[in-house]
Amino acid sequence: MANRSTRSLSARKELEDNLFENISKLAVADADENEFQKLSRRYLIDDSVVYGTASFYDFTREDERKKKIRICNGTACMVAGTQERVQQWAQGSFSKEEIGHVACVGHCHSNSAILFKDNTYSPGSEEELKRIVESETNLSQNALSYEVGANTEPVLTATVSDPVSFFKQAESVRKDGQRVIQELKASGLRGRGGAGFPFWFKIDAVAKEKSDQKYVVCNADEGDPGAFSDMYLLEHQPLKVLYGMYASGICTGATRGVLYIRGEYPNSIRAIEETISLLEEQRLLEDFKFKVIRGQGSYICGEETALLSSIEGLRPEVRVRPPYPAQYGLFGKPTLLSNVETFANLHWIIDKGGKQYAALGTKSSAGTKLVSFDGFFNRPGLYELEMGTSLQEAVYEIGKGFNAEIKALQIGGPLGGIVPINKIEELTLDFESFDSAGFLLGHASFVSIPQSFPMIRYLEHLLKFTADESCGKCYPCRIGSHRGYEMLKKSQQQNFKIDRQLFDDLIETLELGSLCALGGGIPLPLKNALNYFGEELNEYFKS
Amino acid sequence: MIAYVNDMPFEIEPGETMLEFLRRTAADAPVPTMCQDDRLENFGSCRVCSVEVAREEKGETRTMASCHTPVFSGARIYPHTDRMKRLRRNILELVLTDYPAEKVFPSEGKKPTEFQKTIQEIGLPNVRYPQGDNHLDTALDTSHPYIKSDLSQCINCYRCVRACEEIQGEMVLNMSGRGFATSIIKGFDTDFDQSACVSCGACVQTCPTDALHDKFETKTLNPDSTVRTTCTYCGVGCQLEVSLIDGEIRGIQAPVTAEVNEGHTCLKGRFAFRFYDHPDRLREPLIKRNGNFEVATWDEAYDYITERLLKVKEKYGADAIGCISSSRATNEENYLMQKMTRVALNTNNIDGCARVCHAPTAYGMQKSFGTGAATNSIQDLKETDCIFLFGANPTEAHPVTGARIKQLFMQGITSIVVDPVRTTLAELATYHLQLRPGTNVALLNMMAYYIVKEKLVNKEFITKFTEHFEEFKSHVLSLDMNELELLTGVSKELVREAALAYARADNSMEFHGLGVTEHFQGSKTVMLLSNLAMMTGNVGRSGTGLNPLRGQNNVQGAADMGVQPHQGAGYMDVNDLAVQDYYADKYGIPAMPEREGLKIPEMLEAAIAGKFKALWIMGEDTLMTDPNTLHIRKAMEQLDLMVVQELFMSATAEMADVVLPASSYFEKNGTFTNGERRVQRVNKVIEPIGNTKPDGQIIIDMMYRLGYEQPTGKVYDAPAILAEIAEVIPFMRGITWERLGKNGLQWPVEEDGTDTQIIHRDGNFKRGKGRFHHFDFEETPELLEHREKYPFILTTARQLEHYNAGTMTRRTDNQQISPMDYLEVNPLDAADKGISAHDKVRIFSDRGSVEIPVKLNYLVKPGVVRTTFHQPEVFINMITGNVGDQYTMTPEYKVVAVDFEKV
Repeated sequence: MANRSTRSLSARKELEDNLFENISKLAVADADENEFQKLSRRYLIDDSVVYGTASFYDFTREDERKKKIRICNGTACMVAGTQERVQQWAQGSFSKEEIGHVACVGHCHSNSAILFKDNTYSPGSEEELKRIVESETNLSQNALSYEVGANTEPVLTATVSDPVSFFKQAESVRKDGQRVIQELKASGLRGRGGAGFPFWFKIDAVAKEKSDQKYVVCNADEGDPGAFSDMYLLEHQPLKVLYGMYASGICTGATRGVLYIRGEYPNSIRAIEETISLLEEQRLLEDFKFKVIRGQGSYICGEETALLSSIEGLRPEVRVRPPYPAQYGLFGKPTLLSNVETFANLHWIIDKGGKQYAALGTKSSAGTKLVSFDGFFNRPGLYELEMGTSLQEAVYEIGKGFNAEIKALQIGGPLGGIVPINKIEELTLDFESFDSAGFLLGHASFVSIPQSFPMIRYLEHLLKFTADESCGKCYPCRIGSHRGYEMLKKSQQQNFKIDRQLFDDLIETLELGSLCALGGGIPLPLKNALNYFGEELNEYFKS
Repeated sequence: MIAYVNDMPFEIEPGETMLEFLRRTAADAPVPTMCQDDRLENFGSCRVCSVEVAREEKGETRTMASCHTPVFSGARIYPHTDRMKRLRRNILELVLTDYPAEKVFPSEGKKPTEFQKTIQEIGLPNVRYPQGDNHLDTALDTSHPYIKSDLSQCINCYRCVRACEEIQGEMVLNMSGRGFATSIIKGFDTDFDQSACVSCGACVQTCPTDALHDKFETKTLNPDSTVRTTCTYCGVGCQLEVSLIDGEIRGIQAPVTAEVNEGHTCLKGRFAFRFYDHPDRLREPLIKRNGNFEVATWDEAYDYITERLLKVKEKYGADAIGCISSSRATNEENYLMQKMTRVALNTNNIDGCARVCHAPTAYGMQKSFGTGAATNSIQDLKETDCIFLFGANPTEAHPVTGARIKQLFMQGITSIVVDPVRTTLAELATYHLQLRPGTNVALLNMMAYYIVKEKLVNKEFITKFTEHFEEFKSHVLSLDMNELELLTGVSKELVREAALAYARADNSMEFHGLGVTEHFQGSKTVMLLSNLAMMTGNVGRSGTGLNPLRGQNNVQGAADMGVQPHQGAGYMDVNDLAVQDYYADKYGIPAMPEREGLKIPEMLEAAIAGKFKALWIMGEDTLMTDPNTLHIRKAMEQLDLMVVQELFMSATAEMADVVLPASSYFEKNGTFTNGERRVQRVNKVIEPIGNTKPDGQIIIDMMYRLGYEQPTGKVYDAPAILAEIAEVIPFMRGITWERLGKNGLQWPVEEDGTDTQIIHRDGNFKRGKGRFHHFDFEETPELLEHREKYPFILTTARQLEHYNAGTMTRRTDNQQISPMDYLEVNPLDAADKGISAHDKVRIFSDRGSVEIPVKLNYLVKPGVVRTTFHQPEVFINMITGNVGDQYTMTPEYKVVAVDFEKV
């Protein structure tokens, strides 16, 4: 494992005096070189570590520190076509240098999204934007601004009213952690971050490790444009998320829980921090401490090993596996790492038993799944659906169909498949149905691609996103995604046609060669598009 | 467990990656790699080592990067399918879209880089991508004298970044940015010169292209030949591979097959070699006539010396003659030097530079354990749980070992540093006991006290294998910790914690340096360090022991060879009649000199007293490096004859009557023994420069002149002399030139060639039982006599870039990196004296004064100042004193009463 020494030096100050937080603070405050160097001396590391980290993230990069307003360039806002307008409005209040971009703030349901003074908005007019900018107070509201519903037993979306009684369950977990792990096994709960890995396996592995220190880490870096289900849980079901981590801590022997929440979700950070304070005030946590780490703008941090390195203040470059986080995770210690939604399921499972959870959904995709619908749906919002629900029902009954002519849905984020609208009737909402049809359930976010939006531009956007967000470590992703983007762009601007053989080679190289799911995953939507929208795309290629 | 390569079954070795497995089983069709360096942790960035793997015969395959995927039972690996070949070519094509087209093939007359070879291995693809963004116009960095970067050739494999951290324990190199924009940075995105680079060159060596290269372009040299030899600088004993073109040394690499340095070395070993043909090299014998040196022939010089020596011997007796041998020379040469002294000049007045460094180690460890050498090996660092570093600064003085220790420190091993200075390692350590210089004995007594008090002594080990523990125990228990706390300036609670950490660790390993030995109570400190190891049972097994970091490349060997006035070759007591007979028999002479000889300081005293008349010095700048320069000068001026064998006209050589030009280590054969008793070959790389001769040849020539016929013949023949040594020294019996091979052997070496990584194994101490000694702290006379008038304590140290008197390193580009000595002063003291940064001060002691620039820092406590002595411009030994270790007279360079003022 690379960076053992740096990691170990960072671990000396661990979470309390966290290196990543300190680097971020200095960068965001646009501190001078001296301050950064003082920091590296304090950690007994070289300046290159601090510089390397600061130069990585959207919010800490030197050229980004002076931005005052950031306009969402996520997929849903792009296809909605709202952002050029927002850009123009913003120029009424800011110079061009002060206007930056942000990669999705989770307003996919209402679009026109911006990030301003650590708050997110969807202004509907120039006047509204002006009001936001000129207001002394925070105009954003934590209240739900989108529909929430369920078509089944609300495991995740049911309201929790009393934290004390909710956390009382921990007593039983403390009595028999092994039993809880068995219940989790029986429940068939699979990780909700996208990969669908059986959750009990991870928790069991960490429980079995012998170490003086273990961690539970919640991956709340929901970077997939189009997705806002984790955002929903963090902001509206924080007790479920925190409890799931706490119970996992009890089962595994971990005493520290870290939530890595993306900086694009400032309300989520505040909601979780408030809830943690509440738990502490009410003394509901026994021998367990939470820590919130704010992401600084990087999609790759949703990859688990990059996320761990990010918390450590190292560059969030994807690590090789083995070693796995269960053995060598945060600060080199055994770490249970899972996604927000996964943790949020735990209370219900422990309460009602694994069997009952397994009874929900399908045989190999148990339980419910949160789906998020973008602004092209007639009822945009966040819905808890039983696994196995037909997509037809989801889209047309729950989402009430579309408000524009839609040719395809990209489901599961930028690495998810592009599902032509006529394929919807063949799919059900579970891992297997999507896999066998050549798509990906992923995080179950739905981005609608209108008929009017050129597929070539959509693909250009996907490759640009990949190139922008690539950590730069493995060659296929670092160079390949950038070259792919360049060709797609050039094919629209100049008299240039893409060599189809070369493009196929590139797709294969990314798919087979990439180190992680970013470079390895982007071929899926590219292939779907070439497959289902070949006619539309043909003019850009030569064979 | 079995896995398959193209359906052929092979046994799996535990822990193997697929790449390792394939290399072992299918070596004829290697899998290409770009980011792989076997010394570094698996990384997986280039992906060209990908292979197809199925879980069963004809099963569905998945593509896996072989470098970081463990091979598993039943794996069916298909390394070179069409798909994998295509993948590799397509990745390479991507790499070539951002790589200079003119660098695809080697430049005229150059060897291909590793990447250029990989291009051929994979097959040069046609680059089909339209021209896009690239890094081809990245600016060169030529700021550093040795290390250059041309990042247009960078293929982002991270090997340099990883080598910096994982080999050298630095983090100077890193990546910045992300995605396609990532690029290598140095420090805070500065250039090499401004960064904290320690110039080790690990990054250059690992870089598969010329993105990082050195000024010698070592990697792509197309040498006529390469010669493996042993580095001449410090006691680590790195193996080096020297490249030769047209008889000229053009570059040095560190071989990965070297057990000692595992493909690494420091800037001295790697880059500081151009001294060898520097214009300053002495090329002809010189005789001083009427105060001026005149060129002479060898015969004239030899005749001159012979005549004078015989005259002195006749007039004043053999004991008016003495020789100082050199820890820089080979074992064979040291052996010959002591032999000539004893056999041809008939005196035991032979001493060496160990006198000014590790004589107390040899003495103290012999008293405690029976052998004056490291008990364990550097490899033991992999086995230890606690490192106790006492008075040593290996990141400067023993860089390769220092880098290893540093990494362990960074990675959180229990670590204790005792040093008056907050060194790099002290800063990283779990415990830094920053004691007042000169209080080592007091501090070790405190540690022992707490170990006894807390009942952490290893009773079984003590009872079975040691003696006199009870006396030691009752002595330490009688001590007043409050008093010692006050004395050492280290809180007793901190000492207690450190002592307990040492005692509680499963395996604790001690390292010490000149901060132990160069003291009034140096030998006593060594014995107390031995006590600590014995009382906790930390000796005689892996990851433990007492490990002196020997300063010079062959200081261990010189002592082994008998370069000391009281012991002959193999440490036998020259006062013992049976031993005298033994040597007389081996050397084929009727009788050995009877009286024990003089130590260097005694020779000098005797010279001043007019009783000592001829001094022969081989390869040591005594005047510059020994303390109290004026005193030495006075002694040398009294001599009738002074002969110096040297590479350069040193300050000492200037004083000589005859200067004999010696060949450097590149120009001769022999062996060096490193700090872990490892005897390694020095192989001749080039013919002697000018009219120089190897020191060994000079001595043999003189032996014949003096009437002794060296049995190995008139020509200096290192393997033959080594055979004679093996005949004389019992613990080297099994050593032969051939057996030493590439990585040498660690003595004792048995008749059959078996060598020894750990001595005193399982309580079998060389002296029978390990012996405890006990001592009270005594203040050094230096402070007792002078501290009233000179209230500051000066302590001396080393810079990474220079070697000792700088004779060699000052004549390389190392001088550009570190051009001067300076005095480190605590800013509080500086403020008191109105001194600010960049000022020059006059520092003075009872002996004299020198001027030196200051550097203000908090690494030294108020009241303590530190300097180095590499530059003759400063000549710091003008002010050091004559107090020495009570047993060995090793000078107390570490405690000098001084004061200073702004110039």
